Amino acid sequence: MIARRTFLKTAVVATALAPVAARRAAAQDNTLNVNTWGGSWTAAEDAAYFKPFTEKTGIKINTVTPVSFAKLKAQVQTRSYEWDVSTINPPELRQAELEGLLEPIDWSLVNKATLTPTQVYSQGVGAVALATGLAYRKDKFPGGGPKSWADFWDVKRFPGTRCLFNRSFTTMSFALLADGVPRDKLYPMDMDRAFRKLTEIKPHIKVWWTQANQSQQLVRDGEVDMIAIWNARANELAEQGVPLEFVWNQAESYTTNWFVPKGTPRAKNAWRFIDFAVQPKPMADFCNRLSYGPLNPKAFDFIKPEQAQKMPTFPEHLKVGFTPDPAWLGQNLAQIRERFTQWLAT
Amino acid sequence: MVLAFVLPLLRVLVLSVTDPSVSLAHYRRIFTTPLYLHVLSTTFRTSLVVTAVCLLLGYPLAYVMARRGGRLSGILLVAIGISFWTSFLVRTYAWMVILGAKGPVAALMRLAGFSPPQLLFTTFSSMLGMTHILLPYMVMALYAVMKKIEPGHLRAAASLGAPPRHAFYHVFLPLSLPGVVNGCLLVFTLCLGFYVTPVLLGSPQDMMISQVIAQQVEELLAWGFASALSVVLLAATFVVIAVYTRLVGLDRLWG
Repeated sequence: MIARRTFLKTAVVATALAPVAARRAAAQDNTLNVNTWGGSWTAAEDAAYFKPFTEKTGIKINTVTPVSFAKLKAQVQTRSYEWDVSTINPPELRQAELEGLLEPIDWSLVNKATLTPTQVYSQGVGAVALATGLAYRKDKFPGGGPKSWADFWDVKRFPGTRCLFNRSFTTMSFALLADGVPRDKLYPMDMDRAFRKLTEIKPHIKVWWTQANQSQQLVRDGEVDMIAIWNARANELAEQGVPLEFVWNQAESYTTNWFVPKGTPRAKNAWRFIDFAVQPKPMADFCNRLSYGPLNPKAFDFIKPEQAQKMPTFPEHLKVGFTPDPAWLGQNLAQIRERFTQWLAT
Repeated sequence: MVLAFVLPLLRVLVLSVTDPSVSLAHYRRIFTTPLYLHVLSTTFRTSLVVTAVCLLLGYPLAYVMARRGGRLSGILLVAIGISFWTSFLVRTYAWMVILGAKGPVAALMRLAGFSPPQLLFTTFSSMLGMTHILLPYMVMALYAVMKKIEPGHLRAAASLGAPPRHAFYHVFLPLSLPGVVNGCLLVFTLCLGFYVTPVLLGSPQDMMISQVIAQQVEELLAWGFASALSVVLLAATFVVIAVYTRLVGLDRLWG
């Protein structure tokens, strides 16, 4: 027979804990942790995706910054998940898939009919595209600036201080293009040829930028006259009054793709969110705010022509640009990066 | 202490020989690919130079602060403190502005009549930034020891007939050596791990090992290889400290 006091004590404790437990279980069902970049990126996501999604489904969204590819591996290995959905680019997606870090796409929750076939790669769903391209100061080249990578390499016709992006395959692609390789023959990459061409321009490069803010500061401070820069960052500078012209010819288009880390308990919420975010209207809303290119062509129905002109996936721009080969890069990224770093450091 | 410090170190060591398979392949790669040894040597060279410059600049500063006392000492202490507590990223960006093509140094040079050479994104700017950021550590370490040196000792030396130079060299300097050792070790170790400043102020030729390790961890997910690089860095650091200890006779310093 249980003493009355013990019974009362246990009952009180249980009653006190019950709502906590219930809340925790409910919390599991009704939250989602989204990994995002912070700043204007997250603000745009919040307006275009998070708020409408929470209104529609009741699932609360928490953001975790910044985006970290390494955290993906750490989470899956330790089975402790800080975030349930994030975006990465195709070579990283392929690498993550090979290492068993991705949750396979749940087609029961993601509506395949609304997607374009090229939007799905590996276990990720394409979101937006960013472009890296040539930009030059209009005030330094009043008679017209460089229009291609061959022009960038031509230090006689276009004198001025130059800056390139410290990312191996991007810069090597530009070198190959400057050397005359056609856009569809860039991959598999002829590394020797790229390095020969790069060695030509090396003494003329003032700085190799690694952070996006750094690239913008260099232009603002007048340190460089022409630069390889991300289109949205160039656009931002132009809007702030810097006379910068972005060249879409031979620009590299790079996509971000939604994915879910393997084994997260909130996978279902994650796929529901992804299904929502790749619909044309939310995607258009996001892209309108930041001038990145939507990967769902139907999104252009919701984007005004003047805005669409600034986006990498605008059909006119796609015709003159190129995209890196994710399969080849997924295999060779470590090697190409090591060689590039060595070339740069010596 | 063991849990928080030794266990993670052991984990790194184990990772370096087991990820992705049990072998010494990572170490072989480090010693056969020219890149890594080159970056390691750049890292050590840079750290040694920055430590030496910090010592040369910091010693007189700390000496004045410790010996003078009064208002001057207070003002210097506040100045160093403010520099110390300002975010190092802010200080790095400040150097970018100062040394830039449109900055005050270039403008002064132009006023003086000659065209300014490139100051930014060179080994000079990278080391300058690092020295500026690490100098407070050196000064604080030196000051802490110098403050405790009895002024009476120097007066005694003078009363026994020693000229000020002699008194300094034979009395003050040896007593301040523990501070020198502390400061040098501190600055050297901090410099080895320096990441952001060389990236923003220097050229790619000034790349430090921490940048390579970060790349391996963050972008390539090659944790085994990154661990191997870290172990090599740690081992090399121990060697340098051992040599330094032997030369300076560390064990004898504290009596």
